[in-house]
Amino acid sequence: MTDVLEVTLRSVSVLAAFLVLPLLVGQAEHKVMAHMQGRLGPMYAGGFHGWAQLVADGVKFVQKEDITPAAADRRVFRFAPAVALVPYLVAMAVIPLSPDLVAADAPASALFVLATTAVGILGTLMAGWASANKYSLLGAMRSAAQLLSYELPLVLAVASVCLAAGSLSLGGIAQAWSPWWLIWQLPGALVFLVAAVAELQRPPFDMPVADAEIVFGAYTEYTGLRFAFFLLAEYAGIVVMSLLFAVLYLGGWQGPFSDQLGWLWTLLKGLVIAVVIIWLRVAWPRLREDQLQHLAWIVLVPLALAQLALTGVWVVVSA
Amino acid sequence: MTTLDIAFAGVGLVAAASGLLAVTTRHVVHAALWLVVCLGSVAGCYLVLGAELVALVQLLVYVGAVVVLVLFALMLTRAPIGPNPEVTTSRAHRALAAVLGAGVTALLLSVLLPVAGPARKRPGTSNTAVAEQVFGTWVWPFEALSLLLLVALVAAFAISRMTRAAEVAQSALPEMTAPERISQ
Amino acid sequence: MSEPRTPRSGGALPGLLKGLATTARTLARPTHTTEYPDAPPHLPPRSRGVIALLEENCTSCMLCARECPDWCIYIDSHKETLPATTPGGRERQRNVLDRFAIDFSLCMYCGICIEVCPFDALHWSPEFEYSELDIRDLLHEKDRLGQWMPTVPPPPALDEHSAEPAEVAAANKPARPARAAGAPPPARAARAERPERPERPARAERPARAERPEGTARPEPPADSVPAEPPTPPSTASESGSAETKSPEPTSGEDQ
Repeated sequence: MTDVLEVTLRSVSVLAAFLVLPLLVGQAEHKVMAHMQGRLGPMYAGGFHGWAQLVADGVKFVQKEDITPAAADRRVFRFAPAVALVPYLVAMAVIPLSPDLVAADAPASALFVLATTAVGILGTLMAGWASANKYSLLGAMRSAAQLLSYELPLVLAVASVCLAAGSLSLGGIAQAWSPWWLIWQLPGALVFLVAAVAELQRPPFDMPVADAEIVFGAYTEYTGLRFAFFLLAEYAGIVVMSLLFAVLYLGGWQGPFSDQLGWLWTLLKGLVIAVVIIWLRVAWPRLREDQLQHLAWIVLVPLALAQLALTGVWVVVSA
Repeated sequence: MTTLDIAFAGVGLVAAASGLLAVTTRHVVHAALWLVVCLGSVAGCYLVLGAELVALVQLLVYVGAVVVLVLFALMLTRAPIGPNPEVTTSRAHRALAAVLGAGVTALLLSVLLPVAGPARKRPGTSNTAVAEQVFGTWVWPFEALSLLLLVALVAAFAISRMTRAAEVAQSALPEMTAPERISQ
Repeated sequence: MSEPRTPRSGGALPGLLKGLATTARTLARPTHTTEYPDAPPHLPPRSRGVIALLEENCTSCMLCARECPDWCIYIDSHKETLPATTPGGRERQRNVLDRFAIDFSLCMYCGICIEVCPFDALHWSPEFEYSELDIRDLLHEKDRLGQWMPTVPPPPALDEHSAEPAEVAAANKPARPARAAGAPPPARAARAERPERPERPARAERPARAERPEGTARPEPPADSVPAEPPTPPSTASESGSAETKSPEPTSGEDQ
């Protein structure tokens, strides 16, 4: 009976984190982006500096009509948002905030996160194809090409860290982390950050949803709650990737008073990375499709391979 | 019957049913999507059987990459929404395929059924054990396979470079417009 | 942006860092936003918000209505006969404004009506919050147009070393101190933009000039109303006429 209770408690807390953290990141994006552009951002919803803006947005999305285009493949069209959303929810369950604070302690959790986020691509592909819209199809193809290209450097960068720590578990990696990694794993960290932003289809890698060219890519035909799910998936993706970066490259919960405040350290480091991802969106223009592929295959993959080789040599020599 | 047995039977049934749907549906993209379900539930089978690493690799490689490539290729070609009459095969083909499938099933059953006894134990294979096997006992086949893949990769690059060189030579023709040349 | 990142063209990184630095700097600085409904907006002088009507100045001359490119000014008026103010005096006619309306749903805020008004009856007001739920309510009648008048800002101060406005210069002419100074309406004394403006002090002075040769003789009552003095009216007329021809003002003919 206690098992059932514990499982329920863990699931509910993951769901709560999944619903709250993306909203936090979204609100941070609203305000940080506004101030980086000399604006104030939302100021009214909720009273104090528009803190409830995203809640209000959610209420708005719920009220909107849920339209399925007549020519669309109805079942695939309706199912796509769930396919995009659920993998991040599952991935969030295995990310540890502190040694004890993890919803599901999987032995190969680093690989698990990569595998589940890779499934998320399918949601975009399904949405783009089932919309029966040329812009959607173009967007879906762009995102498929982009995500396939950037999956490789992402996996290679994570592999390097796993090799350095001698563990496939996120908890084990964070435990093995030392400040020396900041320099040693720096190329891998940069590759991971760039590839993560590309995986999330965030600017400067937002070619699949380039609104000036293809309206909103695969999400063009979506309205209401289903559209909101895609947005939620994007911000949940930022949360997952930021926390993953914090755990893999910044030592997760390591810091002063890590016994009591370890979870806070992980969250703070993740938040910093999330702000950096937002910052990149504000500061940099969008990459062209060919530049995008160029960057992935000519720069990131060799860099990640070099990092992997360096890590391997170091691990063998120091062992 | 333990919960693991029930879970295994469940994901097995899902895998079999989605596999069947994948080959019978006339929607091309639906077939690929049913394939996703099939491969995913096979990963579920691995997971239930205690091979966590294999399950994750199955998910990462097959669901995350191979099927995405298939879908990508389908979208690049003509993949209409709705049933596609061109996808049908002749009766003879279907009969042949059914016989072949039944034969493989019978073969597998004949091998596996005697092994399946009442005493089942599911040793959870740890990642370290898998690594020791791959890089110890099976290192030479593993390396040979990776070499094969590398050769295939290099060859693919070479072939794409060769056609590209031919196109570049063609692009010297005067009727080639600037954007086309850029796209190359 | 990737061009710089690619190994061939190495110059991209400085640009990327500069972009990050610029956005970070902007983040650290105060924003430019004024929260409009909560804080009043800062409107520059000469903002074109709404057109105010000073009804007393309007002579129903219809110039504004005719010049309006959108034909969005509606004027109705009638002539009224005023009884003579003095016994034996002549009856005067004057225009009475019945209706003056501007349809702001048509108006394109070109300001031509304000430019052409010879008597400064129309003014720009910076008020802009007069949106309506019904487009027909954007037709402002003369009372509504008159209500904008208190919001008209005073004219901007002249530059430090600029020339004196013509009417002020005329008003300050040393030769006719008392009357000339009292003549121009105080509200207009400082305005110099209009070419018609010099005419006002001139008009004020003209009767004075006409009176001078005659001393205290009445300048106004013409000959027909006073039969008792047959010789004087012609002389007054001729005197005033000669005075007007002598007067240097080019616009003097307009008043006749």
